[in-house]
Amino acid sequence: MTASAMIQVRNLVKTYGDKNALNGVSFDARAGEILGLLGPNGAGKSTTMKILTTYLSATSGSVTVDGIDAAVNPLAVRAMLGYLPESTPLYSDMVVYDYLLWCGEMRGLARADVHKRLTDVARVVGLEHVMGQVIGTLSKGFKQRVGLAQAMLHNPKILILDEPTSGLDPNQIIEIRNLIRSLGQNHTLILSSHNLAEVRQICDRVVIIHQGAVVADGTLDELEGRVASRHHLIVGIATTATHDADRLKSLLAATPGAKSVTFSHTSQAPVPTAFFDVEADTDIRSALYERIRGADLTLLELRRKSLDLEGIFQSLTHSV
Amino acid sequence: MKPVWILARREMAATFDSPIAYIAGALFLVATGLLFFFGLGGTDDFFAGREATVRPLFEYAPWVLAVILPAVTMRLVAEEKRQGTLELLVTLPVTDTQIVLGKLLGAIGFLVVALAMTLVLPGLVLAIGHPDVGAIVGGYVGLLLIGTAFLALGLMASTWTQNQIVAFIVGMMLCMFFWTATDALLRLFLDQPPPELALLSFQSQFTDFARGVIDLRNVLYFLSVTTIAVLASTYSLRSRHWQ
Repeated sequence: MTASAMIQVRNLVKTYGDKNALNGVSFDARAGEILGLLGPNGAGKSTTMKILTTYLSATSGSVTVDGIDAAVNPLAVRAMLGYLPESTPLYSDMVVYDYLLWCGEMRGLARADVHKRLTDVARVVGLEHVMGQVIGTLSKGFKQRVGLAQAMLHNPKILILDEPTSGLDPNQIIEIRNLIRSLGQNHTLILSSHNLAEVRQICDRVVIIHQGAVVADGTLDELEGRVASRHHLIVGIATTATHDADRLKSLLAATPGAKSVTFSHTSQAPVPTAFFDVEADTDIRSALYERIRGADLTLLELRRKSLDLEGIFQSLTHSV
Repeated sequence: MKPVWILARREMAATFDSPIAYIAGALFLVATGLLFFFGLGGTDDFFAGREATVRPLFEYAPWVLAVILPAVTMRLVAEEKRQGTLELLVTLPVTDTQIVLGKLLGAIGFLVVALAMTLVLPGLVLAIGHPDVGAIVGGYVGLLLIGTAFLALGLMASTWTQNQIVAFIVGMMLCMFFWTATDALLRLFLDQPPPELALLSFQSQFTDFARGVIDLRNVLYFLSVTTIAVLASTYSLRSRHWQ
């Protein structure tokens, strides 16, 4: 909890009727960092963001943005924020240019300034060619860019993006991720996601929310270090006439430090390969490599098993 | 106040971008025109009356306004709720009151345009006779005030739901209630309703305007109803915080 925290969230509790959406969420976002709020659907990510942006009030707890209490002075906090809500709500009957101009004016920018700023922002998010189009006729990717453009138009200190890539096709996802990554250089950025790969690619730090509570807070590497399946490896070895899957398995199992070896599957193309899951308490990758080379076998694949979100949640919620 | 104007401008543009404005506007002009010239069932025939007066316009226009204005206000907040744009709007650095006032002002823009288009009727009467100009001015001030109150009631109904049709029906019922039902209900239960109770009725407050009398009390009455509806709409927007 540092002094340079741009956003301080303390003990947020939010109840809807008798349902608790948040049970005491606390975290900091430091100036200039990209913070990922990670969690499954319904974990409380959106509710946290709605409170951060002063759309909703917390039942208890506080949000401080650049030293200003959001509950006491919501307008000052809103002026510092750019917000892209989930599913990018926009006025579909408006022309992109008119909409962005309007957003800028509503944020108190002078018309001439908005125009200049709009040109810059349109270039950054790649909207130059659709500025004259009606928003409703745009593809989802372009709508997302319009949403990002309105959020960053006034050059806010902080950008809050709720699931900015959901519903986009793979190419659009890559483009929007790159865009967000570049925005992170000049803004404090909080984004929510239920996609681990996305968070790994974009975020400096993650806060994992599960059932309305923070279960982990740190860099993804730190968090993965805490997760048991870190030393879960996938090994692919070229099979030969003399080395079938069973023999290979016993060979791997004899590696010092290997806890368990399970045969996974074989694949025939491009070369016959047998795959194994190897679990260990420590990093045994080099020992495995030496063992395979020593047996005069061809190692085709050796990688750590990628973590899925469910796996992380299980490990974290059990270890907390 | 600047955000109110910027918001009002967008709302007015959005109103005139949608077919509803043209349908409502055309309906208003046709209905008031017909009622002005022929009255209800030909009872008030302008040409048979041989009198240069605009009085029928002020008699019938509020009825029509009570129906068409809720159609103009129904989308104001309900549509934003349904599309989710309300979340972006209320997280702009503007207050909920500014949002409500901006939306109301945009709708008043429509009302002014609609009323301006009826000016052809007093123009016609002025061309062929010598009507009481004071009554015409007073009547239009009254229509503007009662129209604004109708718009505020319609806007309030629009903050209560995501469904535009529901907003329209509830808004129209509110407008009709204040325009007609209070008088009718009072007469149903009381032979001689005490004059204080007339405070509840738009009709009793409106009659003076049509006679060319702009009484401050009547003006304040309509402004008060508008203010209460604006406050209730703001409260309704704010209620998201404690739901």
